[in-house]
Amino acid sequence: MITLGLIIDEYHLEKKALEFMKYMQDKAKINLYVEERYLLDFSNVNFKEDIFVVKAKGDLVINLAKLIDRETHIPIINSPMSIWLCYNRFLNSTLLKKIGIRVPDFSLNPIGVEPPFKNYIVKNIRDQRNYAFTPLIKEEEGLFNVQDERALIEAQGGKENYQYLYYQQFINSEWEYKVYCIGEDLFFYKQIPVLINPDKMKSRKEIKEIPELSEIAFKALKAVGLKIASIDFLQSENGEFYLTDINSSPNFDYIQNGAKKVGDYLIRMAKV
Amino acid sequence: MKIGILSKRNKMFTAEMKKYLESEGHIVELYTLENLNINQSLLKNDFYVLKSKHMFFLYAGYFLDGNRIPVIPNVNLSYKHKNRIEAHYLIKQAGLLGPNIYMGMNDILKAKLKKQDYPFIQKPLMGSGSAGIKLISSSKDLKSKDGGVIYLEKFIQGVHYLSYFIGDKVCVYEKTPLSNEHSQVKAIEMTQDLIDITLQWKNYYNMLFGHLDIVRDEKTNKLNVVDPGPFPEFIHWNCSVDPVKEVCRLILNEYAKF
Repeated sequence: MITLGLIIDEYHLEKKALEFMKYMQDKAKINLYVEERYLLDFSNVNFKEDIFVVKAKGDLVINLAKLIDRETHIPIINSPMSIWLCYNRFLNSTLLKKIGIRVPDFSLNPIGVEPPFKNYIVKNIRDQRNYAFTPLIKEEEGLFNVQDERALIEAQGGKENYQYLYYQQFINSEWEYKVYCIGEDLFFYKQIPVLINPDKMKSRKEIKEIPELSEIAFKALKAVGLKIASIDFLQSENGEFYLTDINSSPNFDYIQNGAKKVGDYLIRMAKV
Repeated sequence: MKIGILSKRNKMFTAEMKKYLESEGHIVELYTLENLNINQSLLKNDFYVLKSKHMFFLYAGYFLDGNRIPVIPNVNLSYKHKNRIEAHYLIKQAGLLGPNIYMGMNDILKAKLKKQDYPFIQKPLMGSGSAGIKLISSSKDLKSKDGGVIYLEKFIQGVHYLSYFIGDKVCVYEKTPLSNEHSQVKAIEMTQDLIDITLQWKNYYNMLFGHLDIVRDEKTNKLNVVDPGPFPEFIHWNCSVDPVKEVCRLILNEYAKF
């Protein structure tokens, strides 16, 4: 039986990891590293696990993962660098665009300065915390603008108070495509975009592989360094796919046998 | 050439650099948080000087890097100076000593750190210099500003130094513990080990200029690097060269290599 280190926070432990823990209970010894309970001492690198999996994005979580990544040879999924890139929207957009992946145009502007494109979504710059997308939609004179309430709080009311907003060009799409990635395996879904129907699960359906999305997904996973992820796409009216979000900590309870698929993959990847 | 300077200030060293570069015939535009829009509009300059490590200047730097516009000093190295954990690893990788570091929630630190482990310095995870730092003498001093994770460094008792370097020229001063670059310093006779540690740092990361805060541990007499910086104001620099001219010369030479 392998020993698995689960690096997590209280929120994910309570809400997102139960199925996984249940599936793994007779397959692995699980050592919990919970952000709210752990003293991270950087001089202590005495870890005995065969593999670590990271299921959160907080500062202590990322830096514990960094310590393990730098000081041991134990596999860690996902790597701290890939998680950091994922929650920094501006950085992953920059990287993905650089390697030729089609992403919506984007801009970081001081509040009050409009981006150099008309229809847009304002998103949080750092998608690091545990909360859901709350869209504030404004449509007037043929312009369509959406602001994520989190982005506004983050910029103006949160601890950062940095007075900047991240603008992403709005892509009008009939469907939102979601690709779940577990190692080399991809799982395809589509749903009505959450801006139209916030209850994403109501319209979500499993679909056949779309080869173009597979190609983009593998390219993005490699560039960012992810092993487990979900990637969102929108399709413009002329049929072009745009990668709009990449997530290092997706909820695999949404896919059939998600806990089993992730658990079996981690067992295969363990160093024993 | 058209040169952009990314800087939180438009005065002091930044203003002097602009003046000098313009006197050499270059067109220089300053980008502060008032006028910085990070998008294609930045691509009009030939290269950028990354004077400040504020998050948005770093984002701008990464964006420019991604669009093959040179940024000096190196963006990722500047980010690593700004992130205290990354800075810890920079110090370690360069083969230098630094303080032990810890992270945790307030109640966990209070419960798990022993009385004899104190004192510590509490610092923001992202930052440099003395902004937001305080001495933690006992668990009673521990407070999280936002209820989140606290970052601590073991406080090393000893003599504190500010060591500047520009090229191979090193200038070291004694400073008050926890003070910033703008505070008073005391001229000292530089010892060889202070010069060696500074040049070891500079050469390991192939840096053009920068500074280190160093502490000589009173118990061991060993030098510890406690805070590195990629682009100081050089306020106290009084060594043989003009810092503005020399820094600009090094930057222009570096650009010529791209």
